[in-house]
Amino acid sequence: MKFFGTLATVLAVGLIPAAAAAQSMSPMRGEVNSFTDVFAVRVFPANPYDQKIKVEIHVYDQDFQPVDARISPAVFQLGAQASRPVLVVVPFGGAAERKVRICTESIPFPNQQTQIRAQICGKFFGHRKS
Amino acid sequence: MKLFRTAFGATLLVACLGQPALATTQNVIFNGTISPTCTLVIATNGTMTVSPDLQTLSSHNSGGSAGTVTLTTTGGVSLSVDPVTTTTVPAADTTSTTWTPTYSSAGAHSIVETGSATAISTPGADLVSVHLAGTKGGSNRFANGNYQATVTLRCE
Repeated sequence: MKFFGTLATVLAVGLIPAAAAAQSMSPMRGEVNSFTDVFAVRVFPANPYDQKIKVEIHVYDQDFQPVDARISPAVFQLGAQASRPVLVVVPFGGAAERKVRICTESIPFPNQQTQIRAQICGKFFGHRKS
Repeated sequence: MKLFRTAFGATLLVACLGQPALATTQNVIFNGTISPTCTLVIATNGTMTVSPDLQTLSSHNSGGSAGTVTLTTTGGVSLSVDPVTTTTVPAADTTSTTWTPTYSSAGAHSIVETGSATAISTPGADLVSVHLAGTKGGSNRFANGNYQATVTLRCE
């Protein structure tokens, strides 16, 4: 219950963009103010293909090191031309602000000799307000 | 007094009948903001073939082909490839391979083949060609069997 309360708080001051169709991920930029020790971002990965694809969401810091963020859901199947919201809750880790990359990754055509992973990364800046 | 009021009102009404109504205009403002956006649609994966000296496995070699990706962007983004970390090689290949991913672009933005990040500031659509080359040094050679590698193309 406390988690949901925290979540509601950060969402209230956070970034709640509108979904957009036929994009790999939106938004790709954002600044979030939070009064708690985490900040939340809602992103909308989209599948521009005419086939179902497996999508993974990853969070990295500025040096592309993984960030221990809560991602709901982190891995999922996305139908053709579909989009869905993904909630990412990032801890400040004791800092007053934190920059992270939230990346949507997919390999739409696996099991080929040279396969391409498409990675769309958004840059997000969290500010902790006291 | 009542008669005066009635007469005055009637006179005023008659005087106003001939006057056109005053039209007013008011502007309605529309605002829109588009943040940087990027779409990558993979059209084809690439194919690598081995060189006659068996020291290069590349999409640049004869019979090889680049992977192709359609990029559509508003601008304000950066395009790059990651170092290759995911590969599958046949068991007979026990020597190290240096993998070098590169990309080029044609369309709204012309990017000469590079392995470095490229800033894209203007909107448009492009066809991005992704290449991969594996090389062996010294007396090492590629072995018989199936090779597979994954190139990450990033737009951020």
